[in-house]
Amino acid sequence: MRNCPLLWLSLSFLPAVIQPLVAQTATSSPTDGTFNNQPYQPPENCLPCHQRQYDELRSAVKSGYRNASPLQNGLELSANFLNGGLLRPVYADSQIVLPDGTKLNTNMFTTPSFTEIRQVQAGFCLSCHNPHIERMGDDPTRRVFPALDGVGTAFQPESIRPLRDYMMINSSGQQVLPSEIGGMPPAGATRSLAGAGITCDVCHNIGGADLNRSFQQDGFANMSLSLNHSLEKVGPFSFPVLPKGGFHVASNDQAKISLLRSAALCNSCHDVRVPLGNEGPGDLQHYEHDMNPGGQNVTYFRLENLSTEWQTGAYNSTTENPFGQVVRCQDCHMSQFPYAGDSTYQVGDMTVTSPTPAVFFTNYAAVPGVSTDGNYPLYKRSVVNHHFTGVDVPLLYPNELSAYLDPGYPDPNGTGTDEYGIPLGLEARREALLKAAIRINLDKSDKTFALGQPFTVRAEAIALTGHRFPAGFSQERTTYIQMQVTDDNGLVLYQSGYVVDKPHLETGELSPDGNLNDEDLEHIHAVVDPGKHVDRATGAPYVTGQGNNGHTNQVFELGPDDGPDARVYAGTTEGLVLFRNELDRIYLPGQSLGRTDANGEPVIAKQPHYEETFSAAFANSVDNYRSLRPLTPRTFLYTITLPTQAELQEMGVSSIKAPLHIHAQVNYEHFPPLFIRFLARTTGENGPAGHDMHLLTEQRLDDLVKNIQSLTSADVTVSVKE
Amino acid sequence: MRNLLILALFGAVTSIPSGFGQTGYTPGEFQAANANYPVRNPFYFEGRIDWDLLKITQPSNAWEFAQRGIHEQDDLLDTSAAIADYKTSVSMNNLQDRSCQLITAAPTGFGQKIDPPPCMFTVRLRLGNLVKASDPTTALQMFDEVLTIDPLRLGVNTLIGETYSALGDNASNSGDQEEFYREAVAAYEAELALSPVTDLSIKLTGDEANNAHVHWALAGLYDKLGETKNEVTELDLYLKATKWHSDTYPWRIQIAQGRMQKLMASSVHNR
Repeated sequence: MRNCPLLWLSLSFLPAVIQPLVAQTATSSPTDGTFNNQPYQPPENCLPCHQRQYDELRSAVKSGYRNASPLQNGLELSANFLNGGLLRPVYADSQIVLPDGTKLNTNMFTTPSFTEIRQVQAGFCLSCHNPHIERMGDDPTRRVFPALDGVGTAFQPESIRPLRDYMMINSSGQQVLPSEIGGMPPAGATRSLAGAGITCDVCHNIGGADLNRSFQQDGFANMSLSLNHSLEKVGPFSFPVLPKGGFHVASNDQAKISLLRSAALCNSCHDVRVPLGNEGPGDLQHYEHDMNPGGQNVTYFRLENLSTEWQTGAYNSTTENPFGQVVRCQDCHMSQFPYAGDSTYQVGDMTVTSPTPAVFFTNYAAVPGVSTDGNYPLYKRSVVNHHFTGVDVPLLYPNELSAYLDPGYPDPNGTGTDEYGIPLGLEARREALLKAAIRINLDKSDKTFALGQPFTVRAEAIALTGHRFPAGFSQERTTYIQMQVTDDNGLVLYQSGYVVDKPHLETGELSPDGNLNDEDLEHIHAVVDPGKHVDRATGAPYVTGQGNNGHTNQVFELGPDDGPDARVYAGTTEGLVLFRNELDRIYLPGQSLGRTDANGEPVIAKQPHYEETFSAAFANSVDNYRSLRPLTPRTFLYTITLPTQAELQEMGVSSIKAPLHIHAQVNYEHFPPLFIRFLARTTGENGPAGHDMHLLTEQRLDDLVKNIQSLTSADVTVSVKE
Repeated sequence: MRNLLILALFGAVTSIPSGFGQTGYTPGEFQAANANYPVRNPFYFEGRIDWDLLKITQPSNAWEFAQRGIHEQDDLLDTSAAIADYKTSVSMNNLQDRSCQLITAAPTGFGQKIDPPPCMFTVRLRLGNLVKASDPTTALQMFDEVLTIDPLRLGVNTLIGETYSALGDNASNSGDQEEFYREAVAAYEAELALSPVTDLSIKLTGDEANNAHVHWALAGLYDKLGETKNEVTELDLYLKATKWHSDTYPWRIQIAQGRMQKLMASSVHNR
């Protein structure tokens, strides 16, 4: 059966014709029953035969760190405060009955096809970050993450724990919890299988794309992937050698092998579509719903759109990119890229030199002498790298990395390289990857200037990524142009994309701290409401929504570098060029913006009002077109007015000294500080839980958030107009 | 021999195409062919999309004309073509003939197939901004309509203020000039009222003023109107607003400090 693709396909399509049931039957069985079941293995069990892959994978953020991440945990908690715990998983033994009589006993990963928003919400984060663990949870004896005792109005914010609290075990393999909610792991505790995040066994147990759980029936987004839990491990090679002792069987299923080798493998989680339900503004945004039978009520917006961007982009082509081949996710994130030489090519009127993708090193896929019976000979061949380098670095201190992951966790800032010249430190790899992502030039700028007259800087930028740039959680990945015009004496005549050291009273930083990494850009000034704890009488309902749980903008005003919205909506040619996409909240008539006017009265929308929001859980719309398309140059204009001679005299400057110097560089920060401060406050002692969850603080932000300056830069000079 | 055979097999593996391993669907294409895929609503969303992703050559509704106009303005730098398409878009999404509607309530089930579609603000802002120097009347009408569509939208009153300020600068007589300047002041004040400095905002940010560019513009207007006291007030607010935020034109800070000192000294002297 496993060698019969037609039968496999017909099985995978079968559920499409099954009508939705009142209670869903979880898809907890493997999709292919040929092989014996095998429990999901901790990565350490793969280590003896796959040492190199193990070493590479454990420093990838998706393996381990992501699940211990204070930001990831804070994000998940903040959404649960808003909706009353709906993002926590439910399992087969759930007794929850939805208002329409549907029994809610499956979560986002185990629901065969979605008919209810709540099925998507249940386990929304875990379904990609711990799908196998979530499915195991249908067996109460193997459950790691408990279902909440009460959700919605029965939610108890005081008792909810960060997910990472559940990821530690003692020496007997029993789950142990921190004594204090969100506290450090108990002494002697070690990371469990759940704490290992996306392990070897997740990707190498694939059954196929699960079309019925993808909203557009295409295998994109929301973990629309079938996972087996059997002896069959899917590798990249056909006719593989039998592993020693029959520890597993190396799959020879061409469909699965090809899926593993393709970008389609990544599609299932690198698009993220957020259910909207009654929060949706309908036609006031790009309206989409689940296209599967019965899915018409499952409305959503696209949070992460990375896979779709690749799918529709130039790298998914043999003719539209300079490499003459489809360049897959694996070709940049699992290859020697960007450490395997450069290519130079022409895109539009830009000549670009960038690292060459799809160069793979040659090595053993498994350790010779260890991995095969009878010392069956292995051969070196073209193999992939398992670093999966992306754009994040851990926001955990070294002692936390040791406690939550393992004492030998690779230092993200470590030095040295492996045998292929690839840095061992994640931070160095991240920086190199980002620096390969974008180029800029200023060649089209005006060549001359005159005092008191406008002149135009033209910054042409191009993304060299397979997806748009930035991508993924692109509404937080803050990529922007820092631009400065100075005269020959260094007098700053214009600046954009700058930051200013300032106090942050909301998180207790009472004066500037000399650190610019914790500063937001100056296009808007926003402070996000963290919500508040409400003492309730016993049995009193929890009030969901923004009223007590924040997420609205307590402060929202335009800054002096206002550019992103003005450029998009009004077509202005000044201010910040920001490639970060934008989460929006469309407030409908009658809804409160969460702040007051000058008279202290609540500001209520009388008509639909669009406003940037920084919480994905609160957004009901998104603009994913601010990022740069791959291999599509865009030119951004800055119309700059120079001071007049009279104004120069007011400054005590006799004249501008020519030439003018224009410098532009693209900078990157993985999260906006204001978003981190929101999470710090909402999971802090004054947030909805009423106690500190020990996740994020101003100190952590100051210590660990490091922005990357100058991914690319350009300089030109401008002479005086005769 | 056995080793050679294995090598040959490995060689065959490396020649396997790296495309999708599954048949039966092609992501992207399958979506378009699915009859359940929602037809794009006539409003779609505010903002800018990459024009060629729409895969249309000729716009057929107000939203598509707006998007082609944006493409012409941003990508082709053809403002004339953009203005023409924006005007066509506004004519098809018109407040006066009710080919668009103001949304004033959101009852249960709101948002499905709104007919006529909602009035759009992006196209009006774009058109107004492009013609504010050449056709300020149209520009002001567009900006007013945006405030009718979304009275809380930031930045619109500033555009109105800029338009009136330019009208004042170009006015042929002092009466008109003052009237335009007063209108500009009113618009800038309306902008400030939309994001007021409150006790809470000061507690959270420490900012005693915000909207630096609005205060700079107001100071300039009061200078032209000869209202020294108001000018000093606005310069002071400008400096407070830039205290922790600087300015895109940082030299203005030095000028504001100088002007304030000069005006205050003059005021003391005149007293």
